[in-house]
This record gives sequence, structure tokens and C-alpha cells, in this order.
Amino acid sequence: MAGLSSFIYNTFLRRNVTMLGTVFVSAFAMQLAFDTASQRTWDSINKGRQWKDIKHAYIQKPEEDEDEE
Amino acid sequence: MPALANSTRAIARSWTAHSLPVARAGCSAMQTRNVSEVHATSSFDSPFKGVGSSTKIPSFGAYRRKASGEDGPKMFQYFMVGTMGALASLGAKATVQDFLVNMSASADVLAQAKVEVDLAAIPEGKNVIIKWRGKPVFIRHRTEDEIKEAEDTKWEALRDPEPDSQRVKKPEWLIMLGVCTHLGCVPIGEAGDFGGWFCPCHGSHYDISGRIRKGPAPLNLEVPEYDFPEDGTVVIG
Repeated sequence: MAGLSSFIYNTFLRRNVTMLGTVFVSAFAMQLAFDTASQRTWDSINKGRQWKDIKHAYIQKPEEDEDEE
Repeated sequence: MPALANSTRAIARSWTAHSLPVARAGCSAMQTRNVSEVHATSSFDSPFKGVGSSTKIPSFGAYRRKASGEDGPKMFQYFMVGTMGALASLGAKATVQDFLVNMSASADVLAQAKVEVDLAAIPEGKNVIIKWRGKPVFIRHRTEDEIKEAEDTKWEALRDPEPDSQRVKKPEWLIMLGVCTHLGCVPIGEAGDFGGWFCPCHGSHYDISGRIRKGPAPLNLEVPEYDFPEDGTVVIG
């Protein structure tokens, strides 16, 4: 435990540059995780009600990939 | 007269002499009480004499970390600071992005700005004029002879020297804006001295690659951005 925490401290937190880099990279990762999780939650709540769920019933051809959902 | 003065002096003295013992008694009572509390000596002594140091330092042992080393709290503090910074930068980024996205073109505008054309409907050797962003676009399905003619032209000596390979992505499809580079008229297809386009306004002649060959126009016909996402269709824009 002590070895791990000191490793983390020396690797990421000791220098300001690496600390800032860690912070921004983790902000990016947090945004990605938050967006994905909220999108998935929204989709599960509105399952069967969105256009991408009922699209196949109205469009026979498998084209129209340009459409945003 | 001197006798009277003497008598009054004696009265005054005796009066003060009478009143004095009361004050003296109170004084002595106070003094004896103080002295009896500490020491029985007559001179002043410090009331804290013999007590030792009056400063008591309380023990902080209950608040001290049991484990040795300071890595744990340091890590915790840096972790909290870093998490706070990450959340703050996330919020700032989202705010700025919202404003910037607000300024960019919306999805319907972008969808209108592109035109998809079915190329299978255009036979060889025919022109098609479509409207794209309010301007005409010429699509020419060139024949083999026309391709050969366009590529064999000595383009180095032209007014706006440009090889045919720079103007087309697929040699059989010539796609360009139908706006004369002189004053913006729309040229007529399959006309002119060079088998291409002819602008009726001031007599500019374009060849089968859309290059200016004769007349007042300074530049070749402009080629828009286009792409062939699959065989048989072209997306302009």
C-alpha cells in the first residue's frame, strides 16, 4: 500500500506538469464516462420510443446511414 | 489668642487620634488575611511560589496519526485537489463548447449544403445541371474521346494552366461550378470552339475539362468539393 501510493505520488503528483496532465486526462476520461453512461441511461429509459429503435419499421432499405439519430 | 490657637490644635489632634484606630484596625485585618493564606511572614511573597511551572501543555496524542509517514494524507489531499481541478475543467470545457456549438452551422443547414446525385441516370456524353448552394453545377459524363482530348491538351501554355488530372477525381466525371469566371454568367454546354462550354455574355470558350481557352474569362471553371461515397453516386459539398 505504501509502495503503491508512493509510486503514484512520485509518478503523477510530484511534478506540476504531470499533475496537470493527469488532471486533464482524467477530466477527458470522466467526460467520456459521463457522456456514455448518461446516453446509455437515456436510451434504456426511452427504449422503443426513439427513432433509431423504430427506424427499421419505416425504412426498408439499409441505406440512409447519414441520418443522425 | 495663642491659647485659643493651642486649644483648637489640640482638639483637632485628639479628633484625628480618635478616628484613627478604626482605620488601622481595618487595615490590619486585611493584611493578616492575605498573609495567613500564603505565608506567615510579614514581607510579600509570590503566591505562586513553590507551585512550579504553571504552564500545562495538553496532549495532542489523540489527534496524532497512529501510522507513521505522511504519504497517506498527502495522497488524499492531492487526490481531492486533482479531482476538484478535473471537475472544474470539465465544467469550463462544457461551457465553452456549448457557446461554440451554438455558433456553428446547424444540422439542417449542413444537410442542405450537400447534394447527392445519382450518376447512373446520366448517360455517357451528356451534361446535367443541378443546383447546389444557389449555384448551378455541371456534371459531365465524358466519353473516352473527350477524356483523351482533355488529357492530351498542352495545358502548360494555357491562360490558367492546370492538368486534367487535377480537375477530376474520376476521369469520366467532370464536376464543376457552372459560373463563368468572368462576370458570373452560366455558360452553355456542348458549345464553343473547343467542344466544351461557351459563355454567351462575353464569349468565353471553355474546353472539355472546363479550362478557359478563349475570351475574357481569367480562370478555369471552379471545381467544388465532391466525393464518391460509393459507385454510382456523388456527393457535392
